[in-house]
Amino acid sequence: MNGFDFSMRASRTIAAAGVLGAVAFSVTPSVADAQTTVRMVLWPGPEGDAMQKVVRAYNNGQGKTDGISVDMVLLSRDDTFAKETTEIATRSSNVDIYFTATYNIGFFAQGLEPIDDIGIDKSKYFSAAIKGLTIDGKLYGVPLDVSNHFLYYRTDLVNRLLKDESWKKSYRDIARKVLGEARDPKKPSEWTADDYLATAAFFSRSENPDSPTRYGTALQAKTSPFNITLWDDLLWGLGGSWTGKDGKAALTSDAAHKAMSIYRTIYEKHYTSPDASQWEYGETNAALQSGSAAFAMQWSAAYADLTSKDKSPQIYDKIAVAPEPGDPHRTHVHTLAISLNKQSRHKDAARKWMAYLATPKAMTAYAQAGGIPSQPAVLKDNVKSNAAFAKIAENVRKYGYSLPTFTGTFQAMQSITEDLSSAWVGVDATDDALSKANDKLQSLLDR
Amino acid sequence: MTRTKQWPIMVTLAVALVALVVNIPLIGALLTSFKPDGAITSHPLSIPVPGTLQHYANVLYAAGYDFPLFFENSAIIAFGTVVLTTLISVPAAYAIVRLKLGGQWLLNAVAAMRLLPAMFFVLPFFVMLTNVGLLDTVWGMIVVDTFLNLPIAMVILARGVADVPIEIEEAARMDGASSYGILVTMIVPLLAPSIAAAALITFLFTWNDYIFAIIITTSAARTVTVGVSQFVTSYGILWGDVSAGVVLSVIIPIVFAIFGQRYLVSGLASGSVKG
Amino acid sequence: MGAVSAEGFPMPMRQSATSARWVLSAPLLVFLAVFAVFPLALGTWISLTDRSILSFSINFVGLKNYADTLRDPDFWHAVFFTLKFTLISTFATLVLGFLLALLVHRRFPGKTLLVTALIMPIMVAPALMGIMFRLVLNAEIGLVPAILDRFGIAIHLFSPHLVVPLLILLEILQWTPFTFLILYAGLQALPDDVFEAAALDGSSPLRTTFMITIPLMVPSFFVAGFLRAVDALRTFDVIFVLTGGGPGSLTNTLSIYIYKKAFTEGNFGLATAAAMLVLLMVVPLIPFLIRRVTTRVGDVP
Repeated sequence: MNGFDFSMRASRTIAAAGVLGAVAFSVTPSVADAQTTVRMVLWPGPEGDAMQKVVRAYNNGQGKTDGISVDMVLLSRDDTFAKETTEIATRSSNVDIYFTATYNIGFFAQGLEPIDDIGIDKSKYFSAAIKGLTIDGKLYGVPLDVSNHFLYYRTDLVNRLLKDESWKKSYRDIARKVLGEARDPKKPSEWTADDYLATAAFFSRSENPDSPTRYGTALQAKTSPFNITLWDDLLWGLGGSWTGKDGKAALTSDAAHKAMSIYRTIYEKHYTSPDASQWEYGETNAALQSGSAAFAMQWSAAYADLTSKDKSPQIYDKIAVAPEPGDPHRTHVHTLAISLNKQSRHKDAARKWMAYLATPKAMTAYAQAGGIPSQPAVLKDNVKSNAAFAKIAENVRKYGYSLPTFTGTFQAMQSITEDLSSAWVGVDATDDALSKANDKLQSLLDR
Repeated sequence: MTRTKQWPIMVTLAVALVALVVNIPLIGALLTSFKPDGAITSHPLSIPVPGTLQHYANVLYAAGYDFPLFFENSAIIAFGTVVLTTLISVPAAYAIVRLKLGGQWLLNAVAAMRLLPAMFFVLPFFVMLTNVGLLDTVWGMIVVDTFLNLPIAMVILARGVADVPIEIEEAARMDGASSYGILVTMIVPLLAPSIAAAALITFLFTWNDYIFAIIITTSAARTVTVGVSQFVTSYGILWGDVSAGVVLSVIIPIVFAIFGQRYLVSGLASGSVKG
Repeated sequence: MGAVSAEGFPMPMRQSATSARWVLSAPLLVFLAVFAVFPLALGTWISLTDRSILSFSINFVGLKNYADTLRDPDFWHAVFFTLKFTLISTFATLVLGFLLALLVHRRFPGKTLLVTALIMPIMVAPALMGIMFRLVLNAEIGLVPAILDRFGIAIHLFSPHLVVPLLILLEILQWTPFTFLILYAGLQALPDDVFEAAALDGSSPLRTTFMITIPLMVPSFFVAGFLRAVDALRTFDVIFVLTGGGPGSLTNTLSIYIYKKAFTEGNFGLATAAAMLVLLMVVPLIPFLIRRVTTRVGDVP
């Protein structure tokens, strides 16, 4: 629609007046000191908090030399991508740097400028991060945080289960009932999907009236695109995947059926709260913090809150992490990133800032401010700032997998969650849900 | 009215109970906003004594957001929208209902605009405001919110005008008054309650707008509602901070409603006109 | 039209009324011409193209987006869910709001304070209201389940078979104050003498309500019903925050459906076409409703 261009030109004078108006309302420093302002979108949370500190340091330090001032804009999680979608679809130059991730970089790629020319050292990053941000051989983002999942569990409860003979006996009975075979409890680091299910049953009052917790675990079964990734860990841990070796959709595999039946059993037998049909990250934390659930698959970012005495007074000293259940253990990994708007009017300045962010120095500051950078060496050197860094680095390296990068990755996350979540909570039949999800995935792959 | 004298205190209790039930979310916000994080996740029913003011500090300055600016923006946008909407809709309602402009066609068309889901306008408004340089300005938001609330104001005011006794107007015409004179000296005073009602509803709906504030504003014109939503973070919701933000966000509307209540309650559906 | 309404006026008056009607509606017409025509036209144009974030070559596709939407079972699911949601919640808020107005319409201690308290839910942005509902209804840390628990009621509000009634109930809780406000004001505007006459005739309160109050309140019911229904049809924030449209697509409203088309799929052509279809489906009702809104009490519409 080139029609916009003429009106764009025609209205430049009015636009100038509008910009003056905007400056009057904004709190940014005066226009006089010939700095280029680079506007960058991020979302609030640990990433935004950490970036705020790095931005401040840059603006007061090297930014002065570079003649660049970075203005960071935060929007709530869902709104960030909605706003970016609007801006990219209208080819707006309103912001210079977009917030992206490996799961939506293909979706946004049309509006982004490749950044191979800023000269970042790709070898410093997890290879999955670089791979996930590369499309047709071109790099579209500077990796920021790496995100993965852990199994968070209550050490007091699990240790007792491993020692207490009467608990062990009761565990064997429950395992026989739930899995069809008696088995002994195992350490969480050795759990397969079956152990996960049996232990969930053991710590649920519906199966074990003596359980200290009401529910064994907390499922994130809400129709939110991020929730499919936790279920994916079970799928991958059972040897499955979204796609088969031939690259075709493979959500009707035996592994997929098994992973579905585990989720559905947990939900229908009340090994998680019936409200879990509308749960996501926050509610899962709440279930662990309030002591109502014994363990849960959850994002690596929860580590800080769940082990904080202030935020989780009841459980902070009784929480540990293990790899996600499975044989082999697998964890979803995605990388957040920042990308250059193709329509930006300050590309050179934006490139300078992005190059700065790619340095170990900047990423070290980021790590110390609470971010989880995807440079393994930085994680290793900063274990003091976050005890989870070592585990994150290890899990990402040993067990990490990425969703395939294509234009429809995010849409597939949404649509697969939509189909499968209704079967997790018993609304639709599992077979129907899987074949529906499989068809949609295939049509997105074909696009 | 006069009839019911039995047990007025029972009425008080019954109304108080209803008020309690409909305000559960606000009461929850108030309690939560004074609780330390640990208590939020462990003691849902506890009364926060002594409370913490940390969440209010986070909202107002400690989290690094410029909430005073957000409040200023929201107030300017809401008042600006109320003024613009009122100036447009009062004469238009009179022209349509009493002077029969275009039959009801125009009123139907304006009312129908509210039927289009907001998402229809997201892209068009973004493009339009970008091109005229009003993106991320309070003026841009005033235009958008006026557009969104005109249908509501027009419906309320059309109802109000319809209830003004036509006999008064006819008598004035016989005396040679012009339409403008009638509008200013007779209709507007009689319409005051409806105008107050439309203004209050416009104010509240503008103050509470979310989706357009997200899309149209970036930083300079950001509003309170969007500001509070920043405590819905990538990983979970900061319950205490959101709660404090919700409590703060209703203060200005409550003040507005208390001042407007006298007009409002005496005339949402039109009416100081009795019999 | 003009001739009918101006009938009986002296000649110069008629001309003055004719020009006045244009002058007085000029602000509205200018505003619409400047700020409504362009968005409406651009939105309509987008609905006829394949505009999407995935490609910047935008092609005219005629009515394809409309046809695709009409063939999508998820769209029809959203239509029926939204209609059900709108009808039940609008009806319930009208009835409850009216009962509340009847209750409040008398002298009692603390009235001013309590009326303000009653309308406070309207002051919370729906987007934030959704977040607060998520907190107070949370089974582990929420106020409501904790209170119910004290009374020995173990209920899981978000389980799939309860979630639809729950969402409708929450809508009613948030918006009954709104219908109350409009109906209470309408009630106060009614002429006192009619009621005095009825009381003298020995009419029972119930009979007075049904035979006198409700008929006189019809226009107010239409105002309140219209304003509630158009907004219930557009419901988005609270449901999106609480359920995201799930489980599955069970609680997808039309606005959530359109939101996902636009922002998850990036397909603005489909999203605007679906929005336009919503308008086209409901717009025939508008003249019917508006006629009643602008009718004087007692007149036959």
